[in-house]
Amino acid sequence: MEVKKISLLGHKDHGKSTLIGSMLMQTGAATKVRIEEAKRYSKKKGKDFEPAFILDSLVEEREQEMTYDTTRAQMKYKNHAFEFIDVPGHEELIKNMISGASYGDVALLMVSALPDEGIKDQTKRHVFLAKMLGIENLIVAVNKMDMVGYDKKRFTMIKENLSEFLKRINFNLDKVEFIPISAYKGENLTKKSNKIKWYAGKCLADVLCNETKEEPKDNKLRVLVQGMLEDKKNMYITGKIISGKLGVKDEIKAFPSGAVYEVDQIIVKNKKAKTAKSGENIAIKVEGKINEAKGSLMFPKSEKVIPVKEAKSLIFFVRKPGKDITANLYGNKVKCMIKIDKLVETASGREVKRGIAKPLEAAHSTIRLENPMIIEKYDKNRELGRFTLSDENGFFGIGIREG
Amino acid sequence: MIKQDLMILEEKSIFILREAKAKFENIAALWSMGKDSTTMLALARKAFLGKVPFPVIHIDNSIDFPETYKFRQDIAKKWKLDLIVADSEIKPDLVGAACCGKNKPETLKKVMDQYGFDALIVSIRRDEHGVRAKERYFSPRDRNFKWDYKDQPAELWGEYSSKMDTKGHLRVHPLLDWNEVDIWNYIKKEKVPVNPLYFSNNGYRYRSLGCTHCTIPLKSSAKTVDDIIKELEETKEEERSGRSMDKEREYVMQKLRSLGYM
Repeated sequence: MEVKKISLLGHKDHGKSTLIGSMLMQTGAATKVRIEEAKRYSKKKGKDFEPAFILDSLVEEREQEMTYDTTRAQMKYKNHAFEFIDVPGHEELIKNMISGASYGDVALLMVSALPDEGIKDQTKRHVFLAKMLGIENLIVAVNKMDMVGYDKKRFTMIKENLSEFLKRINFNLDKVEFIPISAYKGENLTKKSNKIKWYAGKCLADVLCNETKEEPKDNKLRVLVQGMLEDKKNMYITGKIISGKLGVKDEIKAFPSGAVYEVDQIIVKNKKAKTAKSGENIAIKVEGKINEAKGSLMFPKSEKVIPVKEAKSLIFFVRKPGKDITANLYGNKVKCMIKIDKLVETASGREVKRGIAKPLEAAHSTIRLENPMIIEKYDKNRELGRFTLSDENGFFGIGIREG
Repeated sequence: MIKQDLMILEEKSIFILREAKAKFENIAALWSMGKDSTTMLALARKAFLGKVPFPVIHIDNSIDFPETYKFRQDIAKKWKLDLIVADSEIKPDLVGAACCGKNKPETLKKVMDQYGFDALIVSIRRDEHGVRAKERYFSPRDRNFKWDYKDQPAELWGEYSSKMDTKGHLRVHPLLDWNEVDIWNYIKKEKVPVNPLYFSNNGYRYRSLGCTHCTIPLKSSAKTVDDIIKELEETKEEERSGRSMDKEREYVMQKLRSLGYM
């Protein structure tokens, strides 16, 4: 069955892991051993039962009661299947948050209803990042309602304050659902809570059932080359169809080699096929001499696809970049420079005039590549419109092509 | 247990296997003759025109089940595998987790050094254990096989770790997304051969296979692949509940993995 991937977002201690733990219990997905073990550990720590321990499995995570690294947990609800992606809420672990959330179809933001917790910078920054990661659909769970006496005013205040920010970063508010919950007490998760009578909407799980992944559908053929294969007689190009459809006899062109091929044979999982579609991993037999490198792109011969050396991009900085900057475009590492055009404060979504990029902030920028590359616009083709950035010390940011 | 879409899982695994093969000079896979690593080999045959294009390593402590040795011989011949059998000596003073944590990784270290492998395909799955759920698809290990779980590399959008310190290696996990029941559904769909010990004999079967010292069969009447799939849909027991090393203490899996256990 189709498994909906739901990425958790939110500030540390606002209840992401606790929510998943409670959902695993209520849907019957947590094994006996796991529950018993979490109970034992809660007791050992002198606490009432803590559902987050079902999920946080590393010693350090339990002792410090925080999530270090992303993890996933699946559950069934009615005739739906959910996979929750837990992510760390701490600022210094944003690299792990990005790694986890990038696999999400929809996002579930946790905001604590407690007056001294509420909407934090990190709350908004996570939403900003989710948008960059391509997640269009958002659900906001206002958590810890039990600790504010299920007060409607707290809920409404958070809803109003956050809505302003969401609008600024281009979320369609009509589609964003706000739900009051208590992850710890298990209220309003898989059935409507009778403690929150003023809330007319559905429980969290029912809302999740209606959410779907939204992604631009590009019909133009793009094949990402992974390498070459050889059998006794022939050579094949292997790769994955990123978008569009490929058929036998199609004429395709490769970048950067410039070679043009006629597709002689398509092999999908060891079987000959007449056509192959987006998402399939294929091997292509072509006439003539071939030598395509990993990371090459192939597209219809008839289409004019223009490689670029410069691209307007939105970049998020996990940390301050060093000197030797490399963009990783679908597996190709290309040296580049970043010219910042306008900074964006991720915790407000506002453009600011300050000069240099700071950690955890973003910037509308121009990236200049050493070699021309094919980069699509992110809102047309996700996989070919995004890149990661690294320097001499490794990963430091992500970018998407805007214009 | 959730049955996922086999097509999606299969495509992802094939992509990872091809990516790893293209990326690394000298790659090998671990093969325990269990259901997961055998399924991985079936996927490799799909990815590479019917052939497994890398050597497969069996860390042999000489106390595997006779059925397992027979299975190794049959499949290695049938699929023309480039099989490396690495003899691991069982030290009588080490038992349970101490045995798994020392004997197998140490033998593996020797093999990796001897052949100079820079990447190793390991067929672990996220749903096996909370600690395995924290893994990346591509995960670096240092020369002592240490897993730095507190500072794992970013992994998204085709960015993944390919860096390691000298003499370290990359672990590649093509089956990370699969659930136990998906493996069995795939075995059914693709007629992947399996070790007979997985099927019920006198009311017991092995759900997870290790060596004869530490693996305990579970009560089960499942005699066919279909029976097993049905059993898994209903069970609330953990897959590795028949593996004694997992039970000794909390965090034993974390400790084993951080020390290089597979």
